[in-house]
Amino acid sequence: MAQTLEIESRGGKAGTPLLEVQNLVMHYGTKEGDVSAVEDVTFTLNNGEAIGLVGESGCGKTSIALTLLRLLPDNSVVKSGDVRLDGESLIGLDEEQMRRRRWRDISMVFQGAMNSWNPVYRIGDQIREALRLHWPETLTYQEETERIAALFELVGLNPATMERYPHEFSGGMRQRAVIAMALSCNPKVIIADEPTTALDVIVQDQILRELKKIQKELGMSIIYISHDIAVIAEVTERMGVMYAGKLVELGSTIEVFHRPKHPYSYLLLKSTPSITGPRRKLAPLEGEPPNLIEPPSGCRFHPRCPFATQQCIDEDPPLTTVGEGHSVACWHWQEVPEIGGLQK
Amino acid sequence: MVKYIAKRFGQIFILFYVFLALLFLLLDLQPGDISQQFVGNPNIPPEAKVIMVRQLGLDQPKIVQLGHHLWNYSFGMDMGVSWSSYPREVADILFTALPRTVFLFLTATVLSFWLGFYTGKLVAWRRGTVVEKSVMVTSIFFWTVFYPWFAILMLWFFASQLGWFPIGKFITVETWIGSPFSADSVFILMLTSIAAVTLVYGILRLVIDRSTDDPRSRQNLHRIALWSLIAVATVFWAFNSRRTYAMDILWHTVVPVLTLTLVNFAGTTLLTRSSMLETLREDYILTARAKGVPESTIRDRHAARNAMLPVTTSLVLQLAVVIAGGVITEQIFSWPGLGRALLGAITAEDIPVAMGALALIGVLSLLAHLVADITYAFLDPRIRVQG
Repeated sequence: MAQTLEIESRGGKAGTPLLEVQNLVMHYGTKEGDVSAVEDVTFTLNNGEAIGLVGESGCGKTSIALTLLRLLPDNSVVKSGDVRLDGESLIGLDEEQMRRRRWRDISMVFQGAMNSWNPVYRIGDQIREALRLHWPETLTYQEETERIAALFELVGLNPATMERYPHEFSGGMRQRAVIAMALSCNPKVIIADEPTTALDVIVQDQILRELKKIQKELGMSIIYISHDIAVIAEVTERMGVMYAGKLVELGSTIEVFHRPKHPYSYLLLKSTPSITGPRRKLAPLEGEPPNLIEPPSGCRFHPRCPFATQQCIDEDPPLTTVGEGHSVACWHWQEVPEIGGLQK
Repeated sequence: MVKYIAKRFGQIFILFYVFLALLFLLLDLQPGDISQQFVGNPNIPPEAKVIMVRQLGLDQPKIVQLGHHLWNYSFGMDMGVSWSSYPREVADILFTALPRTVFLFLTATVLSFWLGFYTGKLVAWRRGTVVEKSVMVTSIFFWTVFYPWFAILMLWFFASQLGWFPIGKFITVETWIGSPFSADSVFILMLTSIAAVTLVYGILRLVIDRSTDDPRSRQNLHRIALWSLIAVATVFWAFNSRRTYAMDILWHTVVPVLTLTLVNFAGTTLLTRSSMLETLREDYILTARAKGVPESTIRDRHAARNAMLPVTTSLVLQLAVVIAGGVITEQIFSWPGLGRALLGAITAEDIPVAMGALALIGVLSLLAHLVADITYAFLDPRIRVQG
């Protein structure tokens, strides 16, 4: 019985690699041509670690999340690269094997709101569905209910509310319940795709703290995906910055926030106000994200980059290591000035 | 939930009186009035006319007449006497015809809903295939076909060309000569057994749901309950001396039910398909996929369950049209139901019967709406709370 109530991460020893994304290239086929949505992305999620992916809308963050779970629409093609979970390739699995991995190994916290819950079933029963599908041994109805109650308590919900329907929950409660559902089968990895975007700032803060607390307590490995760098700053240890389908900078969150090496990260931070930090003039990021059917030659950021030279137009900069665990894809990373970071 | 149903009941009750009053007004607005038509016979002296007008209450103010009309139709339980088949009471004529109509249209509606929903669901799931396209073309044909022509075509094909089924009517007279049972008593017994099976099954379901919480054993018990009830009913009829007669009635229902089903099922298919395509785009479908729910379960439990809501709404609206459209169906299939009673009464200028038939058709539509509202509340938890 105690076994069924244990909520934990099934990942391995902390600090060892868990999920490896290697040179992932994913395109969407459209009538106008191939959209290069994810281009040569490489990163590793270690056990017990929280990492973040940040970038503008349409930069490929969500496409990466959906590739990890293999939930992409029919017109998408993984051109090359691999996704490995505990050393096992997920790209090579057949559909049925992959279906068994979903939620059991990798679960997902979707963007809150009404929409990730089916309106006609009770919240508790929707979590029960996940347990029925993936819990290794068959639980009795009573055991399932106990486990759902334990999950509800963990995320700060009253267990009695599991009998309610989604429309009877507030936005924040729904989001907490989504987290409870993500934890239901003791996954190895949780992907949190814009976990707080639809919520107001107060609730957003509560939910993020709750997530961070759970992540630390359970030693859970989480990938946060957000367009909001403040969210990423609050909950992650390492982060990657994405631009137009490419990972342009990867490093510890503190390092990237204080000493960004990619001009895009730098401009992104400059355009974000800091509430507690020193008052500074905001610099809006000029221009628009490129069309990914015909991406710019060389470095994809060059049309908007103040540091761009002829080399940037001609050659694509590789991701190079510039410090401890800090790598950047830019020819001119040394010219990017330091900023004070986004203090919390 | 109880409050919701009570509220709907109240609304239906008020609507019923509004409807009766409208019927009365409609009749009153007809050019000429009943007194002229009924009393206009030159062989009747004017004094007799005056007496008749007084006897019929036509000299009273309109509002008093309306009051009488409303009272007689509800608490008075009196729909008057037929003029064309004189001493017979209107209620007697109509309540003989009513079960036949209800049976015909209820069977066709249930069948077409089930069939249409199932087809629509599968077709939406296999979007872009040849199967989808051919089902779409067929559905659009049935949906747009001129119904009376199609009904006659069906009769011609199945009854006249193939000779498998009778050409309309309710019973084969030859079979029933010397029968110890009246056709209506056999028919009522058939309806009673269907209603009994449905009712007992409903009660058993409630009992089962109270006794166990586990959906898996619930589902199994539901199935056992349903099949054993059907078995009981089958055995009952197999050893009943009314069997042959019941089969004869059943045989007569095939072509009309098939025709109605085909026409209605097309609409349900088309609607289910588009509704399903919309629900498939919802975020909770992606959640279900991410949860590793098998595809067939996503289709049935997540997408189709939600796609059902708008289809149910349309079914209600369709039901009223179907009942009113009974006039055409029953005329073509010589089915002695409410629609035919109405048409006969209008042709014979039998105003009491026509009024009664119209009122009854109205009541049926109101009840259909009530049933659909309640079903909808069961299907969608969001409706329940709003009350």
